[in-house]
Amino acid sequence: MSKSNITAAGHTLWGKMPKANTELFALTYGSLVTELIKDYDNDIDEINKQLDRIGYSIGVRCIDELLSKCEVNGVDIGPCNSFQNTAEVVAKIGFRCFLGMTCDVTNVTENSFSLFLYENPLSIFVELPESGGGGLNDDDGGVDDFGAAAGGSGGIKRLEWSKLKYSNIYCGVIRGALEQVNMKVSCNFARDVLRGDDVNEIKVELKEMLAEGAGEEYQDE
Amino acid sequence: QEQEEGDGLILCCFQTRTGVKFVITAKPGTRGLKKTLREIYVLYADCTLKDPFYELEMPIRCELFTQAIDDLMERIDPGGVSGRNGGGNDGIVKLR
Repeated sequence: MSKSNITAAGHTLWGKMPKANTELFALTYGSLVTELIKDYDNDIDEINKQLDRIGYSIGVRCIDELLSKCEVNGVDIGPCNSFQNTAEVVAKIGFRCFLGMTCDVTNVTENSFSLFLYENPLSIFVELPESGGGGLNDDDGGVDDFGAAAGGSGGIKRLEWSKLKYSNIYCGVIRGALEQVNMKVSCNFARDVLRGDDVNEIKVELKEMLAEGAGEEYQDE
Repeated sequence: QEQEEGDGLILCCFQTRTGVKFVITAKPGTRGLKKTLREIYVLYADCTLKDPFYELEMPIRCELFTQAIDDLMERIDPGGVSGRNGGGNDGIVKLR
């Protein structure tokens, strides 16, 4: 399918999707991340993993919604004939119809591509705190008890907020969605505007193509 | 997308690119089964997948989904469905 068809398909589907309030969406996501930070006791790596896991659950469902809406609205995207084609569909149809985002596909090789996200609706109100210092500040300003408990060795735990991948949920979504169409990929946030880079970049690498997943009882003898 | 007919029954199947198969049985002469299956796919995505209590691969027990399917069947064949397990357009099975 040609590039212009894919872009047009994205616009069409975006028009048909029910809309939600952007601010509400951003704030809800922000609360989710804040809760994760509290639940996992400021363990940044674990939080990134959890965001990816949540995204995965969303992704496996999102893809069926995308494909079903395409079928019913007469948008024919056809099976992808190359990984670049897949990348275009993810960027121009996926991100466009669910989030209204414009994304570009760059650095395409046979097994990988990068997605550049220009506006990120999730992080419109977000700033990451400076690295170091204690955990969440209590109202009374003191963090000593919390710090001692977290630090273990008695000191306040240094938090590397720059390691937090705030929008890591996108990586999970892409991974989950592509796994449902038999592509095992790994995704990670290469550059993040919240950490000071000029653009959000998600790097997607194809690990393997999975065989059709029919159960044993359905296979021909 | 396949359709078989015989023995007083049409069997129509639609397989999605994610490996989900929708199968529908109907009285001979029923038309628009392909379109119906596509609409069922949309209902599956909107009702079942968005139900937080539904686990993938498990039998579907979502009230919203069954109600939406009943409404769809009613629109396609008003009065034709005499019961969930009888009548013109019969049960819908989802396989992986």
